[in-house]
Amino acid sequence: MFADILMALQAVATIENFLIMAIGIWAGVVIGAIPGMTGTMAVTLALPFTFYMDFVPGLLLLVALYKGSTYGGSVSAILIRTPGTASAACTALDGYPLARQGKAGKALNMALYSSCIGDFISNLSLIFLAAPLAMLALKVGPPEYAMLMIFALMTVSGVSGNSLLLGVVSACLGLLLATVGQDMYGSFRFAITDDMQAGLSVAPVLIGLFALPELLKLIVFRIAPKNDAMKLGDDKVSAAEFRASLKSIIRGSGIGVVMGAIPGIGPSAAAFFSYGEAERTSKDPSRFGKGELEGIAASESANNGCCGSTMVPLLALGVPGDVITGVMLGAFMIQGLTPGPMLFQNNIHEVYMLFIGMLVSSVLLFFAGKLTMRGFNRISKIPATLLTPAVLTLCIFGIYAISSNPFDVVILLVLGVVGFAMFLLEIPTAPFLIAFILGPMIEENMRRSLAISRGELGIFFSSPICWIFTVLIVFVAVTTIRREVQKTRARKAAIS
Amino acid sequence: MKRLLTGIAVVTGLGAGAVHAQDYPSKAITLVAPYGAGGASDLAARALAESAKQYIGEPITVENRTGAGGMVGARSVADAEADGYTVLLARVGMILNPAVNPQTMVKADEYTYLGALESTPMILSVDGESEIESVEQLVEAIKESNGRMTYAASGATSIDGFTTQALLKDAGLDPLTAATLVPYKGGNALATAVMGGHVDFGAWAAGSQMGPIEAGDLKPLAVFAPERMDQLPDVPTMSELGYETAGQITGWSALFGPEDLSEEVVAKWDEVLDKVAEDSTWLDLAEKRGSISTVGTVDVTEYAKSQFELFNGLAKDFGYLPE
Amino acid sequence: MKLPLFRGALIVGFFALVLFALIPIYVPRPAFIPGFTPPPAWWPRVVSIVGLSLGILSILIALKTRGDAPSDTAPIELTAPIPVLVGRFLLAVAAFAGFVFLMPLIGFLASSILLTGVAIALTGDRDRKLWAVLVSIGLPVALVYFFGEALGTGFPKGALIKQFGL
Repeated sequence: MFADILMALQAVATIENFLIMAIGIWAGVVIGAIPGMTGTMAVTLALPFTFYMDFVPGLLLLVALYKGSTYGGSVSAILIRTPGTASAACTALDGYPLARQGKAGKALNMALYSSCIGDFISNLSLIFLAAPLAMLALKVGPPEYAMLMIFALMTVSGVSGNSLLLGVVSACLGLLLATVGQDMYGSFRFAITDDMQAGLSVAPVLIGLFALPELLKLIVFRIAPKNDAMKLGDDKVSAAEFRASLKSIIRGSGIGVVMGAIPGIGPSAAAFFSYGEAERTSKDPSRFGKGELEGIAASESANNGCCGSTMVPLLALGVPGDVITGVMLGAFMIQGLTPGPMLFQNNIHEVYMLFIGMLVSSVLLFFAGKLTMRGFNRISKIPATLLTPAVLTLCIFGIYAISSNPFDVVILLVLGVVGFAMFLLEIPTAPFLIAFILGPMIEENMRRSLAISRGELGIFFSSPICWIFTVLIVFVAVTTIRREVQKTRARKAAIS
Repeated sequence: MKRLLTGIAVVTGLGAGAVHAQDYPSKAITLVAPYGAGGASDLAARALAESAKQYIGEPITVENRTGAGGMVGARSVADAEADGYTVLLARVGMILNPAVNPQTMVKADEYTYLGALESTPMILSVDGESEIESVEQLVEAIKESNGRMTYAASGATSIDGFTTQALLKDAGLDPLTAATLVPYKGGNALATAVMGGHVDFGAWAAGSQMGPIEAGDLKPLAVFAPERMDQLPDVPTMSELGYETAGQITGWSALFGPEDLSEEVVAKWDEVLDKVAEDSTWLDLAEKRGSISTVGTVDVTEYAKSQFELFNGLAKDFGYLPE
Repeated sequence: MKLPLFRGALIVGFFALVLFALIPIYVPRPAFIPGFTPPPAWWPRVVSIVGLSLGILSILIALKTRGDAPSDTAPIELTAPIPVLVGRFLLAVAAFAGFVFLMPLIGFLASSILLTGVAIALTGDRDRKLWAVLVSIGLPVALVYFFGEALGTGFPKGALIKQFGL
């Protein structure tokens, strides 16, 4: 085995491979940072190139693009509150306030460090834990899946708001909006216009809800968010700050690894879940959403923590778990290779090359991030009265470019107004968004479970994984409600 | 039905486009792939783009426009200007959907049928550890289970739902209640559900099955294709086993354009597809995807019509549509 | 009316509308779903009932505390008389609507130039007129070029423009 690894190392360590990965990562970061251009899009566009490349460099290019774009999403989330990819939505919650305090550099650095660490841990898990993770992925059936998603939703519905009640209302709105379109059996719901038959896509909802209210706030109240002057050290993460966030980075990476390995969950849910956990277990949760570095660390480590483990189902089972690895399956097929356990027997050389390349790419991600950061950081110096309207234009074009569907632009604008209304009513928007993403997973898996059990509710408590989640759900519900009550009492005491 | 027939008449003979297309094409052509990246339609689209661009003399850009079971992409092509610069990589769903769904977003006659591309087999599989070894045993088990057996599909009226339902019908069972449908989204999710033992069986596109079959995680029982697959020479086809309706169902891709394409455009594509039929890139990529090229060997208009009638008949038969 | 009460009423109103009007009309029950599995309307109904009850709960809380429920968000600072604020909001919404209406007529590029210009003007900044003009024309042009080159996106040209053969 050692000789194998050495040989693979030799084969993979060529200038061309490094160049391909470096370009892939860098392009990924830039693409991820542009609202409307997603990692999926980048990987899809690169697929035809891999037809003409050797297998390993081709696949490494796709991996590099994916990793780069997952980090890149955080850049625009921090600087202009426009998550370049859905998985960076949580990063915006604390990153944007930090940027407004003149600490954009600090936020970007924290995002980069946690992304790279999450990414590296995820690669290691892919290499050493692929078999057990794949077992876990197969064990998670509809009932387990539903319980896991309910647990994740419960953890995050208290996120970034000061009222649990309004957080849950916001989540209900998101759950409801997610039901528009065709349901899992193929029958239409809320198809009020023809366009609505296809349902609402995540990108316009996400960007409308997060980025556009900033513009409306500026137009209506005309308080230009003043950027505080930058103080010395504001563009670096201090050792103490890093240590304080380390727990969240490690936990986030772990969450990313597990959620990434389970087919169909993906980095957005992982990032939200990790953020919710960081807030829930924090000594001072009230700082979250106002510029807490730990929030960025939790979110970014989790979304990049998915990047390696998302390949577990593809490599260990031969079945991709998400769109990105779906494209990779295409690359495999075009090369005449079938991913799956047999790959480890027949093509172990290529597998090792791939693994080594992935480890290297985490390091390259660090340099690509550092390199682009300086350029991007200048954005925060543009006056808000120009920048915020320009963001609107960028979003409109980006959203149209995703699917060439004018209806998506309409959704973007409408959700912008909805987001502004929610701001006026003091209803938090983060639970809305996460419910919109998780809602279909919860509903579909509950209905699947009930179809399998022929309506018996017992199926939700039928396996050890289900029991664990039941206990966790009860625990989180009790502690969250108890804390809410304590908070209200404390406030009342403060008033009287 | 009348609309469809008139539509086909228009399509085949009297394409009366106002666009002057003597110099067609003079700019890049957009090929819409209506399903997600990396899937069968996407790979077929990219392979076609790669191999046809040299014959048509302009680049072909593939665009994934997904949603509503592929109908969003189909709608965008049907609505596009009939100038030949927007075409659709159509899948069986583009004919199946209008045939079974009165609320369909695009009717079957809202296209110009340009040519058949490939046939993509579907495979009936069970979990690799299952005791079931053959279709016969599966049907027996379904009968005994009294409706408790579950099968995975992308929806009730999706193509991979019709595969199983047609088999149930051929076996003399009620297609809707003899086994319970558990809907999943897309072939990969179906594979995971059957491999994980969450669902008992399913019959869906071969693309997402080859890895697990090779590893023994899925057990193929039969293929939905006109002939046996090269990679699975021991697995019989549905027609060989005597299942008549199921034998007619298979996956396929074709090239559609918006309604009323001009004769020049149609002629140009005829010429291009003739060359693609023998193009080594196209044939090579088709073999690697596990599909069989049907360019130039199948009359797409006839085939689309027969498929429409097949699915429309089945939908009435199964009770999705009133008789 | 105090904010919490108004908000509660709005929440109740919205979920009631969904539950009693939209679901019965727009969520049909297909014949082919077996009786023992939940129908398509099940989940939206559960969610709206939860939302409705939470809305009612928030109204009760608002009534009980007479609208001065403790909150730790700073109240929104009213920087101008309310009619002015409402006016600005309506202008912004009109700009959005105008974009959606004009896009099929004059094309994506022209209408986004207009929208960008109007949005910059609405922010009330009069010190950077040259920049405002540069951004509102330059950015959309650059984006059309960029997305056209990178993704091959064809932005709608607009029916009116086409008529003049441009």
